Amino acid sequence: MKIAGLLMAALLAAGMARGQNALDCHLAPGWEASGPVRQFTAENLYDYKDGAADGYLSYGFARMSSLDCKSGADTLTIDVSEMNDADAAYGLFTANRDPKLPITKIGMGGQVQPQSASFAKGKYYVEIVEVAEDPNADHTAVMQAFVGKMQERLEGRESPPEALQWFPQENLESVRLIPESVLGLRLLKRGYVAKYKQGQAFIVLESSPESAAEVLKKLRVHFDGATPAQVGDEAFQTKAQYLEGICVFRKGRFLAGYANLPEAQQAAALAAKLAARIP
Amino acid sequence: MSSNTSRREFLSTGLSAGLAIPVLGAASAMGQQTSGKPDAKAAGSPVKLDYRTLGRTGLKVTTVGMGCMITSDPSVITRAADLGINYFDTARGYQHGNNERMVAAALGARRKNVIISTKSHAGNKEELQQHLETSLRELNTDYIDIWYLHGRNSPDEVPDDQIEVQQKAKHQGKVRFTGVSTHNGQQQLLPWMAHKGVFDVVLTGYNFTMDASMDEAIEAAAKADMGVVAMKVMAGGLHRLKPSDPAYKKLTQEGAMLAALKWVIKKPNIATTIPSITDMDQLDENLKAMSTPLSTGEEKILTAHLDAIRPLYCRMCGQCDGACQKGLPVADVLRFLTYADGYGQFALGRERFLELSAEHKSVRCGDCATCTVMCPHGVQVVSRMARAQELFA
Repeated sequence: MKIAGLLMAALLAAGMARGQNALDCHLAPGWEASGPVRQFTAENLYDYKDGAADGYLSYGFARMSSLDCKSGADTLTIDVSEMNDADAAYGLFTANRDPKLPITKIGMGGQVQPQSASFAKGKYYVEIVEVAEDPNADHTAVMQAFVGKMQERLEGRESPPEALQWFPQENLESVRLIPESVLGLRLLKRGYVAKYKQGQAFIVLESSPESAAEVLKKLRVHFDGATPAQVGDEAFQTKAQYLEGICVFRKGRFLAGYANLPEAQQAAALAAKLAARIP
Repeated sequence: MSSNTSRREFLSTGLSAGLAIPVLGAASAMGQQTSGKPDAKAAGSPVKLDYRTLGRTGLKVTTVGMGCMITSDPSVITRAADLGINYFDTARGYQHGNNERMVAAALGARRKNVIISTKSHAGNKEELQQHLETSLRELNTDYIDIWYLHGRNSPDEVPDDQIEVQQKAKHQGKVRFTGVSTHNGQQQLLPWMAHKGVFDVVLTGYNFTMDASMDEAIEAAAKADMGVVAMKVMAGGLHRLKPSDPAYKKLTQEGAMLAALKWVIKKPNIATTIPSITDMDQLDENLKAMSTPLSTGEEKILTAHLDAIRPLYCRMCGQCDGACQKGLPVADVLRFLTYADGYGQFALGRERFLELSAEHKSVRCGDCATCTVMCPHGVQVVSRMARAQELFA
């Protein structure tokens, strides 16, 4: 037992060290550390991020290492968050990214802006925020230097979650991991939501086909007046007050569908296309 | 509230304030917000709404507002507005602006009927100005109802040049009212804000675990006619509670969140609250706080938590003054420890500790055979003092 505990502590320390390894102000020329590395866990993240800590915690936050760097009058802060798994890291990245900008190939995905950058690789989510003397200065090259070298130092998966590929790409605007209550419904625990020019699609993974069927049954009760639809293994469609035209289907242990379309029939037609893409 | 009121008394004597109004009467109760009615019928069963005036702003706000930061879907915000909730809080920094976008999309045409507050964590006046323009754009609005300087914990963190930016924005009509949001240091910050006289609103962490000095700070703000908005009505009090804690299970049970929310709403100096609302179920749950008062059973849940922290946190009642045989200012040292352990402000706690006289700093409570200090509230003085000495000395 004692050995197992020591082994666990060593593994945790190694995990933290890997995240901390990537923290180095010298990754871009002219930058120096302006303080020690700070460590945060779920218990004290509020002290650093205030109310924004809830966002991190809801995605499955484990710990964070943070470092301030300085170059002349400019300062920047690098936060490396270790999440519970790679999907959570990617999920936090998608929640925080600028949806108006494309996702670039940095780790699983990233974005670089003139004074900020973020990316996810493996179970790590990295944010760099600069406070420059000139708020309009373009320091994209500095950001690129940091993220380029940091991603080399971080281990882990470089491909986005597989489920993202299942969403039809036509008219797709953005995809997010919703850590709890997909579509605002507590029954749909955690899943991906794809926003389209019109409407939104979602995919929720349940632990088994049986549990997925049970949730679908409860959802059908929730949407009083829903009618059966011919999508996946079982499905229903209806028109609801806030989710408008909606169709929810089960395929194996996946619950998925479309919402916020003018009519339920449109939702069902699109849901059928989505069902065909889910293996 | 007197500073020597015990926490248990404090729990049971909170005054009920405000008037419960059925939602269908909402439009007339909303004072300046009368253009357009919430679509309560479509949103579900009618709920009772409770309004208060937000200080000098004159805005009539529902006592339960909505923190939108972790809301999972825009439909939750839309429904909340239709049900009559009229205070929605976001911030420039939440999800790097994505949250402001979601709030704007969710409220749509309802925007004119509700109050939107947002905040900026800008480090200088240029960035603050930039944040204002970005917030206006992302919120798809010509004006922000309440614009806070975000997360400022001392007067030093509220520089004059940022206040000037706030005031200029107000004169330009881009912002209706200004304020500061704060998580720590309220005992110093709120009286300072009250004295300064330029702030309309303060958004402060506040919950049932906090000591009486917090009520005094809030009272100072309310007396200066500032509107007081409470956040962290639950999480601020419980986020440090570990799953291994004996009180954890009881306090995370169904209904505990609602009890904590009701406790804050009972306080007459609090105009509204902004609990984070994730989904439809939580929205329905929080709305109950406006229609049913804090019950005896709910008070017991909260008291259980206070019992759990009783050995740890000083209520600053002053009854231990002069009781230490070595002359230590016990309450002060325990307060310094609370800065570190309770509010995560280690540096502040240590700074205050190091201001003690050399003689007091050198005392080690473990060296005394017996302790002459008996805390009437059950704080374990010896072990807490020893921890402070170990941590700070």
